[in-house]
Amino acid sequence: MLSLLKTEWLKIRKYPAFWWMLGIVLLTYPGINGIFLNVYQQFTTRKDAAGSFAKMVLGNPFSFPETWHTVAYFSSFFVLLPAILVIMLITNEYSFRTHRQNIIDGWSRYEFITGKLMDVLIISGVVTVVYIAASIGYGIYADPDNLNRWTEQLQYIPLFFLQTFAQLSIAFFLGFLVKKAFIALGIFLFYYLVVENILVAYLKYKKIPITRFLPFEVSDNMLVAPAFAGNFGKDAKAGYEAALALVPQQAILTIVLTTLIWLACFRLHNRKDLS
Amino acid sequence: MDTVLSLEAISKSYGRIQALKEVSFTVPRGSVFGILGPNGSGKTTLMSIVLDVLKANTGSYSWFGKANHPSERKKIGSLLETPNFYHYLSATDNLNITSAISGRGTPEDISRVLELVKLSERKNSRFSTYSLGMKQRLAIAAALLGNPEILLLDEPTNGLDPVGIMEIRDLIRSLAQKGITIIIASHLLDEVEKVCTHVAILKKGNLLTAGHVNEVLAHEDIVELAAANMEALKQCIADMGGFSVLREEDQRLQIHYPAGTANMEAINAHCFRNGITLQLLLNKKRSLESKFFELTND
Repeated sequence: MLSLLKTEWLKIRKYPAFWWMLGIVLLTYPGINGIFLNVYQQFTTRKDAAGSFAKMVLGNPFSFPETWHTVAYFSSFFVLLPAILVIMLITNEYSFRTHRQNIIDGWSRYEFITGKLMDVLIISGVVTVVYIAASIGYGIYADPDNLNRWTEQLQYIPLFFLQTFAQLSIAFFLGFLVKKAFIALGIFLFYYLVVENILVAYLKYKKIPITRFLPFEVSDNMLVAPAFAGNFGKDAKAGYEAALALVPQQAILTIVLTTLIWLACFRLHNRKDLS
Repeated sequence: MDTVLSLEAISKSYGRIQALKEVSFTVPRGSVFGILGPNGSGKTTLMSIVLDVLKANTGSYSWFGKANHPSERKKIGSLLETPNFYHYLSATDNLNITSAISGRGTPEDISRVLELVKLSERKNSRFSTYSLGMKQRLAIAAALLGNPEILLLDEPTNGLDPVGIMEIRDLIRSLAQKGITIIIASHLLDEVEKVCTHVAILKKGNLLTAGHVNEVLAHEDIVELAAANMEALKQCIADMGGFSVLREEDQRLQIHYPAGTANMEAINAHCFRNGITLQLLLNKKRSLESKFFELTND
């Protein structure tokens, strides 16, 4: 296992796209949250009635422990960035034909996919570390007095990791099946940004309650909108609490879907000709 | 002599195209085993199967007497078709990966093989900046990493210049002398003939023949004769008998005798007694090339 990890690291450590991705994630995750924090502060520091109202309704979404939830929610929009890297890492193996060479050199088919699984785990881990750092930073910045509540709502760390891993696994699966980087990226972006959103809107409009089972919605529904979303009246409160109550179920569904994806990768790779 | 690789009725088809039909043979330890065949005869398919890159439809193979297992593959230095490396990594970094996967070679050994294939000066350049010949050299270096007991080389001289081809041939010879088993596929017969101890000839997925070079080639003795009067010579030889084939081509008479039965002295004496003075009397060792064409031509 350690040898697989070492080998994958040898492949990644000098891959420029990996460091670019890391750099961009380091900028965007804190960046997007910073923008929302800025907007929030502009609203709530106003001296008029709207300012006080905003403060009352929104609370302080970036202070501990809410920061774990809020930063996870906003950061999760940017899973696209590591997804591009994950797709490149598998399609590179096809275009360099190293998916054959690794086997020729002595890996089993199983070891090859395990190595890739490790890549996706490592990237999810790196992204999660950036998320944790951003959450702590904004938590301290937004309200240092609340620091003593940092241990509350820590469940958002594993949930964020799971969501990232699940969605990157879908990206990997596409790259694995399609083999061509640009086609896989195109399908991923088109489905992630367009198709699923239209499907969700349509199904909600038709009142068909299956949206939470769609491939990305399954894990998106683990990180529901930040708590202030429930402060806009009675219906919003009920909706927020219902969504929160579903989180454990969504987590289980996400684990099931992700496991199925990886089982399919192992099984397919074990049988096929590597051409 | 023990067996390194044995194939049992390997068949492989791509859709309706049958690439290999029940191919069986064994590769003895210490041999230089040439797999020959025209383009599309199934050489690369065969090598891909024994390296587990392709799955055979039926049949089986074993390395060192054990059924397919990755740990056996790690002992084999292989070059299959094109050189496959990470384009953004240098020669050294790529060989580090080969070494990490196969367990063959140390950092010193990586320097040694790069020196051997004359890539030392460019060892820190990215693979994507290499010429075709340099890529091929790196692939050979990867195969040689850690002094494997078995080398499996598919068209190892692809993309090399004449000097490079000669160097690789010499390298293969010196490795063979050290007792390393080398399995080599090539359509360059000249190449193979100079180094091989054993051959297998494939055509359209069928194994035509396999065995020791001398056995495969020496089914017959071939004698070439020429005289001023070719008609009289032909008649004279026909009277003498004992041959299997007699034909005239390019002002020469070519006579095939069963292996070991051509007697040059007797032929010369017989012709002279019959008033024919020979201009040419040649005991021709059969070339791999002529055997190859005979077997693979329809």
